[in-house]
Amino acid sequence: MATVGLRAFEMFASRLSCRLPRIHAFTLRSLTTGTAATPPPLNSRFVPPASLETMDEVELEGDQVDFDVSSPPHRPRPENRRPVPPSPAFYTARSLYYDTLVQLQAALSLSRRALRAQHLLPLPPFALRALPPAQPAWANKAEMSLILQAPLTARMYKRVVTLLKELEQCERIARIADSTELEDAITDITKGFESKKGIQARDTRIRAREAKEKGPLDKYGRSYTVGRRKTSTARVWMIEVQKPKDDASVPAANTKSILSSSSATTPPPPTSIVLINSVPISDYFPLPADREHVVRPLKLAGLLGAFNVFALVRGGGTSGQSGAIALAVAKGCVAHVPEVEPILKKAKLLRRDPRMVERKKTGLAKARKRYTWVKR
Amino acid sequence: MALRPWTTATRCLRRQRSTFLNQHGSTQTREKTFQPHHTLSRPLAPSHTTLSALVAAGAHFGHTTSLMNPNFLPYSFGTRAGLTIIDLEQTLPLLRRAASLVRAVAQRNGTIIFVGTRPDLQDTIQRASERLGPQGYHIGERWLPGALTNRNQLFQEESHQYRLTPDLVVFLNPLANMNAIRECAIQHVPTTGIIDSNADPRIVMYPIPANDDSPRTAQIIAGVLSVAGRDGVVARGEDQKTYQHQAHRILIKQALTGEGNS
Repeated sequence: MATVGLRAFEMFASRLSCRLPRIHAFTLRSLTTGTAATPPPLNSRFVPPASLETMDEVELEGDQVDFDVSSPPHRPRPENRRPVPPSPAFYTARSLYYDTLVQLQAALSLSRRALRAQHLLPLPPFALRALPPAQPAWANKAEMSLILQAPLTARMYKRVVTLLKELEQCERIARIADSTELEDAITDITKGFESKKGIQARDTRIRAREAKEKGPLDKYGRSYTVGRRKTSTARVWMIEVQKPKDDASVPAANTKSILSSSSATTPPPPTSIVLINSVPISDYFPLPADREHVVRPLKLAGLLGAFNVFALVRGGGTSGQSGAIALAVAKGCVAHVPEVEPILKKAKLLRRDPRMVERKKTGLAKARKRYTWVKR
Repeated sequence: MALRPWTTATRCLRRQRSTFLNQHGSTQTREKTFQPHHTLSRPLAPSHTTLSALVAAGAHFGHTTSLMNPNFLPYSFGTRAGLTIIDLEQTLPLLRRAASLVRAVAQRNGTIIFVGTRPDLQDTIQRASERLGPQGYHIGERWLPGALTNRNQLFQEESHQYRLTPDLVVFLNPLANMNAIRECAIQHVPTTGIIDSNADPRIVMYPIPANDDSPRTAQIIAGVLSVAGRDGVVARGEDQKTYQHQAHRILIKQALTGEGNS
């Protein structure tokens, strides 16, 4: 964990005036200085095991003090000069990981204690549901292994992420309750576990969610959909056909003379324009089968003439392009009129046809064609 | 239901009754009451550990009689309900012996590792190692094979920087860590641990016969040992102060006699 996070945790704990667990690079000075409580008295009688009697014992009572200048002063037994490993989890060979777990657990209990003191915990279920959604940007397993300087298994990674999620929930509660100090303290700790990739992924998710909430149509009421078939890609914009103004036809409809026929008074059927690569469909697809492919989704949905279609298609041949446009048109119909989705789904028009040209294999003439079998 | 009027007379009567009754009855408060987390958060000192505390923690329950290790016989009290009952009257002095050992090692600046590789022992070993300050270590997940015997490979840079051989290893579940016990024996590291009735007491140097499956027993024992260790660390600090004071006095004396001579 970054050193910034360690210091932040120190400040966090000191704010809440709680004892810290001893972790990487800390020394528990309160043992001898006795900040919180005085050290306990040595009230148990010292009973040395047999082997210790042969070792040099430290006897520094007052009556044994040697004031003779010539003899050297009593000193503790000379020990190995090297320092001891700093972290309490050193012998696990993943000291930073285990120290981080301890630290995160301690931070979690401290923040929960602080929230309980402000009567923000436990939250009633309706309040929990009303919390803004979590938007995590945690590093993935590989990045977390670099942060924690240990090769992480899936279980180890999950342990860290679970603790971070709990901390993040406390942060959200603090944010909603305008408890800025607590929120900042928790953010200082958790930001050390976020990564650029995670932040990018989070932003993508947010944008996708916003786009979904906004709806499939843009501000002009157009849908933009993409369809693919074989190697063709079609991008299709669909917009509702403007209904004609029928002020003139209203008085005509009211009069019911024998001479007026129904065909004269009823408005003409709506016509829509279908342009593919800025070319009308009848010119672009000379074969009626291809035209039928494109128009079929509209027919089944009963939306013939309801939408103007503008398609840009690239790649492949006629049937690939017509299939791609058909898929995009079907998706566009669903975007405008969600109720037709079950109809088109049943007709399998919303499914991207996965069939692609199969590759040629060695020893075969084509993908499946074998060479003529020769007996000898 | 009509309430009685809250008059001065009523109040006086209530006050008299309450002051009279306060002198009698229970004096139990929350602070004095035992709560389940006290075995972890308020560890006992070695001199304050009682038989009843160990019995309350279930330290006397061994395994099924059929699973008893024959070398454990001296420490068993008998059998009951098909279980071996551990003789706690032998456990207590052995526990105090181990506590003295931990205290002595800590006083001589020795490093002590607490090994407890079960999920319910994690809190215990963490707190126990905390009490010893920089001299306490813990292993909660898995003893890495070769941590002592293959340290040049496992701890490449650190083997030149720090002294890696621990001075004592405490096992809260020794049967699950036989690799670690073997490594300690190879490297001549003294060991102590909780020996259950299905274990051979000779696997560790200073056995503490007790129930190793009970988390509360482990909390009591690890608490006792870590409190003793803390005493040792404190004593070392005081010894250091006394030594420095002594050395200072001798220097002054030398300076004075030197000046006198010259």
